Amino acid sequence: MEQNKQLKFESPSFITRIKSMLSVDFYRLFHTPLFYIFIAIAAIIPAMIIGTTGMEGSQTGAIFTNTWQAIAVEKPLYVIENIGQYANMNMVFIFGGIMVSIFIGHDYKSGYVKQLFTTHAKKQDYMISKSLTCAFAMVCMCGTYLVGTVLAGALVGLSFKVNFGSLVCALLGKVIMSLGWASLYTFLNVIFRKYFAVSILSSFFFGTGILIIGAAAILGNSAVLNIFLYGSSVYACLSSNFVSVLVCLLCSVVWSVIYNVLGTYILNKSDVY
Amino acid sequence: MNAIEIRNLTKSFGEKLALSGLNMTVPEGSIYGFIGENGSGKSTTEKIICGLIHKTGGSVKLYDKDHTDIDVRASVGVLIESPGCYPGYSVWNNLMLQATNLRLKNKEDEVRKVLKLVRMEGAASNKFKNCSLGMKQRIGIAMALLGNPKLLVLDEPINGLDADGMRIMREILTDIAKSGSTVLVSSHILGELEKIATHYGIIRGGKMIVEMTAEELENSCPTFVALQTKDLKNTKEVLEKKYSKVRYDEEKEYLRVYDAESPEEVAKFLYDNKIIINELKTDKIGLEEYYINLMNDKEGK
Repeated sequence: MEQNKQLKFESPSFITRIKSMLSVDFYRLFHTPLFYIFIAIAAIIPAMIIGTTGMEGSQTGAIFTNTWQAIAVEKPLYVIENIGQYANMNMVFIFGGIMVSIFIGHDYKSGYVKQLFTTHAKKQDYMISKSLTCAFAMVCMCGTYLVGTVLAGALVGLSFKVNFGSLVCALLGKVIMSLGWASLYTFLNVIFRKYFAVSILSSFFFGTGILIIGAAAILGNSAVLNIFLYGSSVYACLSSNFVSVLVCLLCSVVWSVIYNVLGTYILNKSDVY
Repeated sequence: MNAIEIRNLTKSFGEKLALSGLNMTVPEGSIYGFIGENGSGKSTTEKIICGLIHKTGGSVKLYDKDHTDIDVRASVGVLIESPGCYPGYSVWNNLMLQATNLRLKNKEDEVRKVLKLVRMEGAASNKFKNCSLGMKQRIGIAMALLGNPKLLVLDEPINGLDADGMRIMREILTDIAKSGSTVLVSSHILGELEKIATHYGIIRGGKMIVEMTAEELENSCPTFVALQTKDLKNTKEVLEKKYSKVRYDEEKEYLRVYDAESPEEVAKFLYDNKIIINELKTDKIGLEEYYINLMNDKEGK
């Protein structure tokens, strides 16, 4: 240790700060079994969906006749007529929410935030870093979900016929929306940071889309709901095009900015630990 | 320059006032013993200094800069309550994560250095959750020491440690202070604190009631003649014929004579009164007794 400590305080730039925080968060993500468990869950979900809705003689009948119906609906709908319109890649974001809650919850349970916020880390950096890391985790989950869908579709013998461009746009839209969802969950976990169980429940509550389904039941099926009430991961459907991707991008960015600003505000105004 | 300067600090949790106009000055390079009962506001003060909770009023300055200045605060090493480590990760990985957060250049070297300082080189690969309480506290200190901080804020670092653990912790804190860092340490184990602290602050009900240097404490702690005889009750009665301040120390089963000029004088007086002394020495009240007396005075006991 130096004998004489000079009173010189460094001021690292935003990029320097966020780089160090992201490297810690990604290290944690890759070194926690949780991430791999959820990746595996994401791969299993389509098998379960197709297994229960795609086979003749299944309890609900053959709702799915095409493998890609497990990825997205044909058209952006919120008034759900059957389980098949609900059970698709959007399920990733429900499970992703639980993963985010556990991932962030451990920061508070372990007391890690005490150490973190006595470094140069700013609350804004924390929100951004968590949102990006968790968005990455959800993108990975989307990836394994896609693999699971293809395998399950092939095993069950469903059709793979699709407009490839629309499928790519739908997938892109959902992947892009991961950032918006991750920001929402990070925000919820910042609000309920002292109550681990509540944060998990809140993520599940918002992730299942109960609010938007309820709103759709009152207002009727409207694309407006996609954008203004619940984002646009449902908007990314099998009839998507380039504009749909742009809408998803816009929604995702707007969500992220709003939730990050609100989360930063809450962290700045309240006691951290 | 003072490492910490706090003026009129207040903090309320809802209607409960945790700090009510606290003033505190921690000189640079000192080991500042922060003493107080449970719930007196020690941890709250430390958390405010570290920026973990917000103050309601007053000012907190670290090296003449506002404590909300993140660049100043980043030069503070912290161990509040327990170390903030991931239980499933190894000691090494936890320290490496903090080294990354601090953007240290030679992370591995820095981690090795602090592990050596806290005598934990051999336990680097242990999972944090498998470490003993004493080891965890030392890991917390190691974490706080990463990045060579100018100020260390340690909340009860010696609680729950065995005698050897306390000795090691004492050596560590002394080494840290020798390196030029300022240490703010709160503890209930006053006997240990007395061995290392250069300054003291005693807090009660969210207010600082006394701040003093170790030298001032030494001067304000009276010396006395301590003695032990076969019949302490009778001896006390005899001594009270000559001395006005004779007290019975229940814990040590001694008689204390505060207004005697020397032990020889007491010995001669008792010899003249045909009382045989088993043990006779001069002694001084310590921090613990000073603190208890002060608290009793405040409570009007």
